Amino acid sequence: MERLLPKPGDSDRRAYRTLLIVAVFIFVVPAWSRLIPGSVLHMDIVNIMVLVGVYACAVVGLNLLVGYGGQISLGHAAFFGVGAYTTAILCTKLHWFPTWLGIICGAVLAGMVGWLVGKPVLRLKGNYLAMATLGLGEIAFILFQQVKGLTGGTVGIVDIPPLSVFGLKFDTDLKLFFVVWAVVMILMLLSINLIRSRVGRGLRALHSSEVAADAMGVNTSRYKVQVFVLSAVFAGLGGALFAHFQKYVNPESFTLALSILFITMVVVGGMGNVWGGLVGVVILTFLPSVIQALPQWIPGLPSGLANFSNYELVLYGALLIVFMMFLPKGVAFGLSRAGKYSEVRARHLRDRIKARKMEGR
Amino acid sequence: MNTRDKGQQKLLWGSAIVVGLVVVITLIDKRSIGMQWLLSGLTVGSIYALVAMGFSVIYSSTRVINFAQGGFSMLGGMLMFSLSVSGKLPLWLGFILAVLIVTALGAGFERIVIHPMKDKSAITVIIVTIGLSIFMTAIAKWIWGTDPVKIAAFSGDKPIRFLGASLVPQSLWVFGLTLVAVALVFVFFNKTLLGKGMRAAANNPDAASLVGVSSSTSSLVAWTIAAGLGAAAGVVIAPINFAQYSAGTALGLKGFSAAVLGGLGSAPGAVVGGLVLGVLEQITAGYLPSGYKDAVAFVILILVLLVRPQGLLGRPEEVKV
Repeated sequence: MERLLPKPGDSDRRAYRTLLIVAVFIFVVPAWSRLIPGSVLHMDIVNIMVLVGVYACAVVGLNLLVGYGGQISLGHAAFFGVGAYTTAILCTKLHWFPTWLGIICGAVLAGMVGWLVGKPVLRLKGNYLAMATLGLGEIAFILFQQVKGLTGGTVGIVDIPPLSVFGLKFDTDLKLFFVVWAVVMILMLLSINLIRSRVGRGLRALHSSEVAADAMGVNTSRYKVQVFVLSAVFAGLGGALFAHFQKYVNPESFTLALSILFITMVVVGGMGNVWGGLVGVVILTFLPSVIQALPQWIPGLPSGLANFSNYELVLYGALLIVFMMFLPKGVAFGLSRAGKYSEVRARHLRDRIKARKMEGR
Repeated sequence: MNTRDKGQQKLLWGSAIVVGLVVVITLIDKRSIGMQWLLSGLTVGSIYALVAMGFSVIYSSTRVINFAQGGFSMLGGMLMFSLSVSGKLPLWLGFILAVLIVTALGAGFERIVIHPMKDKSAITVIIVTIGLSIFMTAIAKWIWGTDPVKIAAFSGDKPIRFLGASLVPQSLWVFGLTLVAVALVFVFFNKTLLGKGMRAAANNPDAASLVGVSSSTSSLVAWTIAAGLGAAAGVVIAPINFAQYSAGTALGLKGFSAAVLGGLGSAPGAVVGGLVLGVLEQITAGYLPSGYKDAVAFVILILVLLVRPQGLLGRPEEVKV
């Protein structure tokens, strides 16, 4: 009988255990953010964590594409936007339309757009996808602005109803927090399983040598298209959740800057490391709030720091270059190395204590 | 002349005929502004050709798509503004200085960032060029602000009448510069030892390195040429299109589409691709709302990748193990 979930090996157990720890840690965030009230930190932690969650949906998928597909997308803001606009349009034009179905429609439509672009482009060897998605991002932005009848032009769509599932309304940040992070955890679980699946093995083979993988009968372009479409679906899902979180959408939210932000998150966190995406999102989503709060924490700092948007792109550009040059595996790799190191040290220490005891006896 | 060259010539003529047909159709069209579209199309097309050549030169010697290519043009235009408008330098001096500064930046970036990463995968290097592109845009925004800046045309604004269409004198500068640049690139790659070596390296890096073509020098020269071409294009188009900090992205995307249309890695292809793209864009803008003009390059990019990925003049890439 074919197993639905492959038998977990040692490294898999480790991945599941880490996922569990991360999930517990994240789901108690609202509790410990009560202990340290946001007003002390000058930021609303639960609110930012919802944003982290919706971005994480997009970044986890993008990380699969970059790290395992070996391809870059500079248009993930477009998929994010397609997801957001789809549910926004459905739920505001048709008042009876269930919001959860709107979110699913958004994710599916984003995936379809991804398929349309990915199918022709990923047949080719080389990195044509980066430019094609850059173009896609620009076109999506133009369409969001120009198709005024549907998208409301530059003003966008306002009064998007909160997410509700069968009468259960998720209208506060705290309620939404749990929904969004439950979704993120499911996506993480999917990613961990995907890497171990046939597709994941094929992609890994492709990463080490595309020619060899081809020769071994791995249908490289099909796997690349699959992982690209999957990443588009993840991004669409994130975007749709984002629309119900923000309660309004306009084209300005889905510019090239957002695509760049997603890529920076992947790079800073660690390409090809499932946890990398998550780490990168947390760091870079909190960064603006932290920098803006700095003058309030440490008096004497220039208050100009509060205008983060003025120099965020300089920072992202510099981060991309510096990380690729000096830390291409990202922060998550450093963390996991530190984790393994401390584990080894702990075992070492235990052994020595045991040895001491033996000697003492 | 071998069969491949014949094939290329056929395609060259083919694309010329296609453009010619389009022009005839638009001339017959009652609005009779086909000539106008052709002239404006060739003007921007020349710029796309220069940017596309930059992409092709770097791609053929390093297999990297340089996302900062459009940024070089943007920087060229902005520096021209600072030097000749704010700094009141004579135009020719401003032009030379702007191109030299950007060229030096391109070469410096290759030495400091790209060269140490020569053993890394292409995707890593591409991400670095994305970083550079954003970095340049952000710095330009910081220095020059967000408003577009106006640079005076090199020799006045009085339009020249030509076969019922009007042509701004700046277009002649664009054509002239493109001709000179293409000629220089052609001479470099066909007549000089270094250029021939680089072509050999693009064809077969291992064999070329065995006979003493240094891949490190190739990469440096490629980046230098690409930055210079980009900057020159940016300076000479600035009086027509306004220079702005954000101009690099769109120009880069269009230049890349032109390079793919002509055949990525082929210098003649870049020229043909650029000119064809420029004209098609103008014609589309004539029939459709101008907001959609920027979509043409992208649609062409997808179509070419779908139908003829090696482009008009390129050769299908063979992968050897």
